[in-house]
Amino acid sequence: MPNEKVQGVDGDLLVILRHAPHGSSWLREGLDAALVAAAFGRRVTLLFMGEGVTALVPGQANGPLGQKGTAPTLEMLEMYDIDTLLVEAEALVRFGLAVEGLMLPARAVAAAELPALTADHSLVLTF
Amino acid sequence: MRYAILLMGAPYSSQAAHSALRFARALVGRGHRLEGVFFYHDGVHNAARLATPPQDEPHLVDGWAALAAEHGVPLQVCIAAALRRGLLDEREAARHGKQGHSIEPPFELTGLGQLVDLGLHCDRLVTFGP
Amino acid sequence: MLLHILNRSPATSEVYRQALAAMGPADRLLMIEDGVQGALESLAGRFGDLQGRLYVLEEDLAARGLVPLSADSVIRVDMEGFVTLTEEAQRTVSWY
Repeated sequence: MPNEKVQGVDGDLLVILRHAPHGSSWLREGLDAALVAAAFGRRVTLLFMGEGVTALVPGQANGPLGQKGTAPTLEMLEMYDIDTLLVEAEALVRFGLAVEGLMLPARAVAAAELPALTADHSLVLTF
Repeated sequence: MRYAILLMGAPYSSQAAHSALRFARALVGRGHRLEGVFFYHDGVHNAARLATPPQDEPHLVDGWAALAAEHGVPLQVCIAAALRRGLLDEREAARHGKQGHSIEPPFELTGLGQLVDLGLHCDRLVTFGP
Repeated sequence: MLLHILNRSPATSEVYRQALAAMGPADRLLMIEDGVQGALESLAGRFGDLQGRLYVLEEDLAARGLVPLSADSVIRVDMEGFVTLTEEAQRTVSWY
């Protein structure tokens, strides 16, 4: 059948994180899915897009009602072998952030690189 | 082809669940296999046992259950997302000392590993968000 | 070739820009749910570069009374056509 995908055991997963910390559960739930995928042996790339780039602002704290937030989960990424963190360059500019000032090492990607990212991973999940 | 659906919208509040159920029926109608529906984020509300829409409105919970009964589709509900939102099956209710339960078969509480598994083994995974 | 699925109106949400940014030159975009507003003559121009690659789910247009206002350049599909689009693409990416 045309376009049937041939799957390797650890197909590459791209998780696109489009939401900011605290305001909704999307970022947390997206990261949880990414961590589990990595724990299951998949190679995972995280792309922070739009307001998602603010997930990497340093100095975050718990929420006012004691919500855990996502900074602690992000600190765990390295332990799960998720070391490919990409941030949308235009979004960094929009939010006045510099890639060097983020809480974790990340690579800025320009808009022109985005289509290749979605094309090159065997599964793309957006949160 | 082998399909999986990731559903992250609650019934009624947005169209996500409606679209997902329509899509599920259409793909099965075309002869594909639906290997599983994974309910995450607010999608876990699609498993709410006590959902009682008016008679003349779509009953999403029953719709998913019918799909499971007719085509053997596993209905997998993320346990962490479900518990946070008050959706517990009998086992979890007992475990946490709660009276009553809000999820029953064919819906099954599982971990995110099941979503990863579906993604690995299916030809297409389609996400429906709110 | 990927299929991108958009369920939000370009008039009320910026997510369509993110979808467009992530689309490759052969990728297709299917508008569903409130995203079908993007098929309106007055809004379809925002997807200008997608000639022949822009689709809309007809049943969602019909439910909203928007079929007569839908631009001819946008290709209407029914639910079975939606499934076909997912067969023809290597994978789908949902933008909500």
